[in-house]
Amino acid sequence: MRRNLLDLFARYGYELVQPPLVEYVESLFTQDDRALDLKTFKLVDELTGRQMGLRADITPQVARIDAHLLNRQGVARLCYAGSVVTTRPDGILATREPRQIGAEIYGVAGIAADVEIVELMVESLSLAGVTDLRLEIGHLGLFNALADAAGLRGELREQVFVALQQKDSPGLRELTADLSAEAAAGLLALASCYGDGGVMAEARAALPALPAVTAALDTLESLQQALAVRGIEIGFDLSELHSSYYHTGLVFNAYTPGFANAVARGGRYDSVGEKFGRSRPATGFSLDVRALTQLPFPSVKPGILAPAGDAPELVAAIRALRQQGETVIVDLGVQADEVAYDRKLQQAGDQWQVISLTMG
Amino acid sequence: MITIALSKGRIFEETLPLLAAAGITPAEDPEKSRKLIIGTNRDDVRLIIVRATDVPTYVEHGAADLGVAGRDVLLEHGGDGLYQPLDLDIAKCSLMVAVREGYDYDAAVKQGARLKIATKYVKQAREHFADKGVHVDLIKLYGSMELAPLVGLADAIVDLVSTGGTLKANKLVAVEHIRDISSRLVLNQAALKLKRDRLQPMLDAFRGAIGTGR
Repeated sequence: MRRNLLDLFARYGYELVQPPLVEYVESLFTQDDRALDLKTFKLVDELTGRQMGLRADITPQVARIDAHLLNRQGVARLCYAGSVVTTRPDGILATREPRQIGAEIYGVAGIAADVEIVELMVESLSLAGVTDLRLEIGHLGLFNALADAAGLRGELREQVFVALQQKDSPGLRELTADLSAEAAAGLLALASCYGDGGVMAEARAALPALPAVTAALDTLESLQQALAVRGIEIGFDLSELHSSYYHTGLVFNAYTPGFANAVARGGRYDSVGEKFGRSRPATGFSLDVRALTQLPFPSVKPGILAPAGDAPELVAAIRALRQQGETVIVDLGVQADEVAYDRKLQQAGDQWQVISLTMG
Repeated sequence: MITIALSKGRIFEETLPLLAAAGITPAEDPEKSRKLIIGTNRDDVRLIIVRATDVPTYVEHGAADLGVAGRDVLLEHGGDGLYQPLDLDIAKCSLMVAVREGYDYDAAVKQGARLKIATKYVKQAREHFADKGVHVDLIKLYGSMELAPLVGLADAIVDLVSTGGTLKANKLVAVEHIRDISSRLVLNQAALKLKRDRLQPMLDAFRGAIGTGR
């Protein structure tokens, strides 16, 4: 599946990058990313005494590649696939070693890039066999605008953020009790703005008409229209804020029955390269291939069992079969029954022949 | 199929009127039946009876789409990965610190002091005493906490108090109020997105039944 997804990305013009699994910690984080810092396993490099980390996310590494190694003026479309290791799993029943695969566009601020990313995400999921898909988008700019307007800072801002993620209206009411009535009402309204198309009208009526709020709502609406043209239906969840630490604007999550967590997520992270000396607009998505396959072992095509031996004809016959793309398993004399085969290589005169073992 | 997780007893009884408002009537009374899955008048809605502390777990994993859980349970659980949009205003009580009659609590909780606290609510007890700057040794118990101060297991307990009857019967007094507790509606995050057309009307009915402003 990883193969198929990468081929799909290639057809959209994405270049594969392969950042290292272990790097100096400074290279693994963007800004002062405390949450990502805590999720990263660390070790000390004995050569330099500097701290190294096992990557817990690939996006910051890709951002660094975009900023330094490529340093292009125009658009960069990059994709990656690899394991990440996290100290804490991302959700219940989630693995601590997800196989992250994703695609990102650097250098485009406009919504066209987001449309392409969402389209690619949906196509990736359908390639992975996810058909019943529910896509939800939100915009971090809404929360940020409202929180700024309300003068929320520090711990309180974080608490409000967490309460919003849980749509914890009673909790929000407690937390915002000391704010101005307008600010509190705006934050509360955000918690109940989720659902289909009608939500936009509701949000425009309920949220204060700050310039940033209007801009974010406009973005959401135009994304919806652009995706509708492509036959992709989306829902809104304006309090859906938890995608990742570095997201700055649009965020989108894909849900499907049978999975308690989002199966793919993404969004915009415009300032992600800033720490690496170059701030470029960026958008992208990622998914955990391992969660999607959910198969303990890949199913193997049965092969051909061949006897062990040094006869030149036998060696030649085995080599020929393997070159034809067949799986040939040499019987080493120990528990041959435990390997999957449905044919056997047998000697007939001075010829070696493949005999089918399946009963007619 | 919509699955609702409830715990027996007070939460179940006080949730009944809310379910009725959403047009749902359980087919059996869990106090009389020993069944753990209870059907309702609606073919697409069933109730499951679980322990109160297990409600968030069932809902988080999606084994139930929604449930009713006390705020005490949610705070211990953490509430991550759940939506909790409604305070149902039922099963109300308070989380309190209680001590043996005659124990001088005010003298004992001076900053820097060290106390032994028995409780089921370890996380909330830790936070409460950390805020006060008091060292505590927490002893996790699963029930009958009232016993702990009486037999010298702990100096004080942190427990839910509704009428105060149990405290009184065991010669304990509540000395400090930590927070008011009531029950919340909790929702599985994916369920709200995937089954919104059926869950939202239920949510609105509950909201209507508790009254506005909540």
